[in-house]
Amino acid sequence: MPVSLMPVTVIQSTRFGELEIAHQDVLEFPRGLIGLGGQRYTLLDRNPGTGFLWLHCIDFPDLALPVVDPRRFFADYQLQIGEDERELVGAADLDQAAHYVTVRTAPRLADVVVNLRAPILVWEGRGHQVLNTAPGAELQVPLFAPTDPASGVAGEGGPAAAPADAA
Amino acid sequence: MLILTRRPGERVVIGEDVLVTVMEISGQTVRLGIAAPSELPIYREEIWLAVKDENRAAAQAAVDGLPEGALPGGGSEAQRPS
Repeated sequence: MPVSLMPVTVIQSTRFGELEIAHQDVLEFPRGLIGLGGQRYTLLDRNPGTGFLWLHCIDFPDLALPVVDPRRFFADYQLQIGEDERELVGAADLDQAAHYVTVRTAPRLADVVVNLRAPILVWEGRGHQVLNTAPGAELQVPLFAPTDPASGVAGEGGPAAAPADAA
Repeated sequence: MLILTRRPGERVVIGEDVLVTVMEISGQTVRLGIAAPSELPIYREEIWLAVKDENRAAAQAAVDGLPEGALPGGGSEAQRPS
């Protein structure tokens, strides 16, 4: 089946209905996402201006995860990965790759957390979920600063929760 | 489950191309060296389980479950989804 000759891939997303994914927007994930699999994903900007994207699986139409670029939310975000993973990602300079972290949503903003421990790096159409060993790169880091007035209650945010410079 | 006894420096071969070497034993700790093809991910179990849990939890998100106007510097303050 010469899928690569088709201009678009059509999927029936359980969340978003029928989606046409242009082939240049298909991201190959040779190893899939940890524990979820899937070898082809795409990024959907369904909430423009919010910083949230959906990393939507093409192989499994019910699989999609909200993600954000940690560098836009965390001024102190750092990435440290092993040499093997660096080779897998393939970018000579990891700063040039796109970085995403998964978002665990919650009704209260103070409870919305992201996984800085396992960011997803995308470079030249290929994505890899890697293990970040940088200090502060925890599994559940509040996305919003604990003093965020919109969150209502002062949250239980960690030290890494400070948002990036708003300027 | 297959159970094997190995000494430091001895190896176990899994399939054609995975080689596990007992590097060192010190008290309650065993150091393993694993040589495997790059396409075969290798994780410590606890981190693999933890990341899997986070991925699965993230994948539960509903379409209308994302905060709005959340991006710092994006103009509006963060709000709950209405």
